[in-house]
Amino acid sequence: MGFLFALPAAIYMLVFIGYPMIQNIILSFKNVDVYTFAQPANQKFVGLQNYIELFVSGNSILTKAIINTLVFTVGSIFFQFIIGFALALLFNKKFPGCSFFRGVTMISWLLPVTVAGLLFKFMFASSGGIINQFLVALHILDKPMDWLLQPKSAMVAIIVANIWIGIPFNMMLLITGLTTIPSDVYESCNLDGANKVQTLFWVTIPMIKPAIMSVLTLGFVYTFKVFDLVWVMTKGGPINSTELVSTYAYRLSFEEFQFSKGAAAANVLFLILLVVGIFYIKLINEEEEIM
Amino acid sequence: MGKKEKRSRIIAFALGMIIFVILIFPLYWMVVTALKTQVEIFQIPTPLWPADLTLDAFKAQISASSDTLRGFKNSAIIAVGATAISTLLSIPAAYGLARFRFGMKKALILFFLITQMLPSTLVLTSLYIMFSKVKLLNTYWAPILADATLGIPFSIIILRTYFLSIPKELDEAANIDGCGYWKSFFLIMLPIAKPGVIVAAVFSFVYAWGDLIYGITFITDPTKRPITSSIYNYVQQYQTLWNSTMAFGIIAISPVVLIFIFMQKYIVSGLTNGAVKA
Repeated sequence: MGFLFALPAAIYMLVFIGYPMIQNIILSFKNVDVYTFAQPANQKFVGLQNYIELFVSGNSILTKAIINTLVFTVGSIFFQFIIGFALALLFNKKFPGCSFFRGVTMISWLLPVTVAGLLFKFMFASSGGIINQFLVALHILDKPMDWLLQPKSAMVAIIVANIWIGIPFNMMLLITGLTTIPSDVYESCNLDGANKVQTLFWVTIPMIKPAIMSVLTLGFVYTFKVFDLVWVMTKGGPINSTELVSTYAYRLSFEEFQFSKGAAAANVLFLILLVVGIFYIKLINEEEEIM
Repeated sequence: MGKKEKRSRIIAFALGMIIFVILIFPLYWMVVTALKTQVEIFQIPTPLWPADLTLDAFKAQISASSDTLRGFKNSAIIAVGATAISTLLSIPAAYGLARFRFGMKKALILFFLITQMLPSTLVLTSLYIMFSKVKLLNTYWAPILADATLGIPFSIIILRTYFLSIPKELDEAANIDGCGYWKSFFLIMLPIAKPGVIVAAVFSFVYAWGDLIYGITFITDPTKRPITSSIYNYVQQYQTLWNSTMAFGIIAISPVVLIFIFMQKYIVSGLTNGAVKA
């Protein structure tokens, strides 16, 4: 009976996610490109050739994209988490305006990422960009710089934009974790003479470890597959310096029309996410029996 | 209240205020830029509030010939369609997965959890080929069908926690009173799970409204583009016309902002339930 209730949704997801995934694996072992796309007769299996070419070619963009994706993900999560955690601790206190401030800062997480990306593209612009003006006014920069046109600063810019988008997610999940700590725990810490830093590291953090692990693994998965933000801000440039695995897979398939290679790159992205995903599922299984 | 505690609340308030100003600044900047003239945007230093306040950028975007309103309409059709599919399929699925015991239950829950984590790029090429075979490219159906897959896993996870929180005795009582499965589902479970249904629908809508990748891939006809894809194309064309771009952006985010204002409580509960509890 319960199976029948779940069946329509399961079939839908199998048709529009499961089947395309399998097709994507098959496609990645073929030679479908702009020439053979319309001629099924000339499409044939080429084994691992696409994967080999993507990884082994003299200047492998895929290898670079994987490294970039790691830098982007670790950079984003590190700051999102620290800032999100600090805000969670702050907003977990009761003070006037607390729920208003907390509520409104949530909005950056809900905005269409395309618009958030364009907004940051404008703020980082060399002429008219407010970030340059601030940095020049504070004498951190001598003159406005082309953030998005230089490899290193372009990576910094997309990470900053992504941190802004991700802070509320980290903050909300950690606040939920904090509210599960009963207040008498803190009272007894106080009585035992523990100072605030000790309480944080010896009581708070261990007690909300499940929430912390959820935030970090989910954050990793969501950040690792980011596409729109980067596509809107830099399109992977300059010279592939912000190319992520997702943008590279998209470029291969829909700008260079090398469909099989694009499929192979997307599968590499999937394999990396799968490892983290399994870790996450194990984690929530341990935490509470999901049955 | 002790003196020390009072002071710590004042410090917390001041910190909260500062953080609020920093985090909200990009949105403020979007609004201010949309109200400026091009001259003021490129002035150094650029004014923090326009001396020459103008609604021209908005007027240009709302004029009949612009892509903005058309994109808005297209996005509304696509997002409502995707939300309808996602919600209609998720409600019974979540109910089944919360209320019954059966063999493949654990596998199904895992399946939905995993699909929530998949990158769109993974299925994009195959979906493109699939939709081109059945002639759905450049119709609203392609992004509707694809966007619904973003909402379904999340909706099922959220709704399942709602159904789980309803005491079992309620169905049992309904059964004794002679309600069948369907009757007790519609008359008892659904009304109680209404907040969950709202959260699920809101998130499905927000996901579909914010989608870019399916929109730019499946729809190349400018008259059918969703708004995210129109603004993306607009910027390619009018690189530095920032006041118009920001006015366009404000129109593009307006439904999400309205949803946020009216449903903030639901959204917060959805975010935390969906992500932590699973």
